[in-house]
Amino acid sequence: MTSSIRSRRRPLPSPRRVSLPWQAIIDGLMLLLWAAMLLRFTVTGQIYLLLHPDYMWLSHMAMVLTFGMGMGRMWQVWQVVRLQQRQGGPRSQEHIALLPRRVSTGLLLAVAVFGLIYTPRPFTSETALQRGITEVLSQTRSRPQRFVLSGASEDRTIVDWIRTLNVYPEPEAYAGQAVNVSGFVTHMPGWPDNLFMITRFVLTCCAADAYPVGLPVELPPGTPRPAPDTWLEVTGRMTTQTLDNKRQLVIGEAALTEIPQPRTPYEY
Amino acid sequence: MVQLNNGITLFFSLLVEAMPFLLLGVIFSSVLLLFVDEQKLLALMPRNVLLAALAGGLIGFLFPVCECGNIPVARRLLMKGAPTAVAIGFLLAAPTVNPIVFWATWIAFRDQPEIVFLRVGFTLVVAMAVALIFSAQADMRPFLQDNLARMMGDPAAPPAATGLQGGSPSPAEDEAISPLLRSGTFLMQSPGQVLQLDAPPAQVLAQVTGAPPPLRLRFRMMVDNMVLETRELGAVLILGSAIAAFVQVAIPREVILSLGQGPVTSILAMMALAWVVSICSTVDAFFALSFASVFTSGSLLAFLVFGPMIDLKNISLLLTVFKGRAIIYLFLLAAQLTFLLTLVMNLYVG
Repeated sequence: MTSSIRSRRRPLPSPRRVSLPWQAIIDGLMLLLWAAMLLRFTVTGQIYLLLHPDYMWLSHMAMVLTFGMGMGRMWQVWQVVRLQQRQGGPRSQEHIALLPRRVSTGLLLAVAVFGLIYTPRPFTSETALQRGITEVLSQTRSRPQRFVLSGASEDRTIVDWIRTLNVYPEPEAYAGQAVNVSGFVTHMPGWPDNLFMITRFVLTCCAADAYPVGLPVELPPGTPRPAPDTWLEVTGRMTTQTLDNKRQLVIGEAALTEIPQPRTPYEY
Repeated sequence: MVQLNNGITLFFSLLVEAMPFLLLGVIFSSVLLLFVDEQKLLALMPRNVLLAALAGGLIGFLFPVCECGNIPVARRLLMKGAPTAVAIGFLLAAPTVNPIVFWATWIAFRDQPEIVFLRVGFTLVVAMAVALIFSAQADMRPFLQDNLARMMGDPAAPPAATGLQGGSPSPAEDEAISPLLRSGTFLMQSPGQVLQLDAPPAQVLAQVTGAPPPLRLRFRMMVDNMVLETRELGAVLILGSAIAAFVQVAIPREVILSLGQGPVTSILAMMALAWVVSICSTVDAFFALSFASVFTSGSLLAFLVFGPMIDLKNISLLLTVFKGRAIIYLFLLAAQLTFLLTLVMNLYVG
């Protein structure tokens, strides 16, 4: 085999005193930071604001993979430094189609660092209004083939109530049943001052498809209406009322207890 | 401020959800690159264009990755000289026609099995049709990004194309793009063959036939390739997720939802939603399920068939393979075919 070097895009790097493979070091750092970001989301429980629990193992897997790749990269760096060779990662600028290497590395690093600092927030009443709180009697989204209701009506969550109503939508059937649900306060436009919606977001897979569900709450006379986004536990009894020209189930005789925002603010 | 927070939360949600699949895709792609002899795999591909397109679509069963993961594999297949029909068939069908997605869809739509099977069927029909249309183009390289086209080397007559057209490109065309006219560092091999030294290592490796390197070196190259692709595709995924998150915050969902209950508008609305939400094909069945009570079956199918093929997020990934013009063709063809098929379903079946 004959070898002839035809042309060279750039001169070979001149020998320098310190020849650290910076590219590979930054790659490794970036991957380890991603693993750290995912670890932080998991440890702080913020992952519950991002993903449905069923898919969390995927992010755990991603954490392990990025950690493994990062460590592998760092190990290569160590080998290179130890052997005093200068062959870090593949130097292949041509491989990159859309973004220059520095831009992509910078983006990944920036997002990882930002993810280590930023605290995701659960969605609020404003988003619930924007996305349209699922009307109790009309469009329910998820239709599980079966769901188990515990015997006592006060054990049902908001989602359980909505699903129950979807199966048997006659509000009168539930009048008088005891209710104990928790959620945050949403003020519906056009409702009188003694009414608000106790609301929860439901996830089917990740925050991108969170949708709100809610039950109207009627306050006893004289009780001030709580501020939007206050987390409450509401106990009371189901009554029916005509709201927005529709007969609806409303939580009456409501007793409100303020609670801290739960660790898992969404329901599933 | 609330909107900004929501946008950022959505952004991280999409990233955290999509990243594992991207990593899986990158790993599959790297393993495929170094431990699977694609020449052999591709040699197994049928010569007939129609069958090649079908085979390309079914390769997805070997690589269970979603649409963020299949683009690196498709890119690799193209680089290794896969016929157009196989590559396009794989690109469009693989995110849907694979065991994981089938399983997820089955879980979600167990009580409507026709959705599960029609999803696979329609996807294969659309993918094969688009693959056939693209195969009419003998040389794909004008459609591809420059550096990818350069890596593909000489367009030896694609085996699949000869079945249809019965002629190979004239030798003069081959000569016109002799590798010696490109810049870079080359080693002369046997007459007429050169080895580009400054191509990515895996590429060099692929060109050196007959002498598989030791396992340790191959393993090292696999890690190199994984890091490289994670960096590239990860950055693009970040941009795509950012755009998707902010569009989702900016457009009220009711605007999309209120568009339709009718047979036509519901399909258009669901296709638009699929495009905007950019959800991974492995989990989109659950997302579609949440609309099952409001939307026609045809429109749900449109969501499930069209979404994995092209959406806001993977357009940026597709740009690492194709030029803008080709993506517009892909988009239009896939959208029209999906629309027609699901409209027939809405009007005559549903």
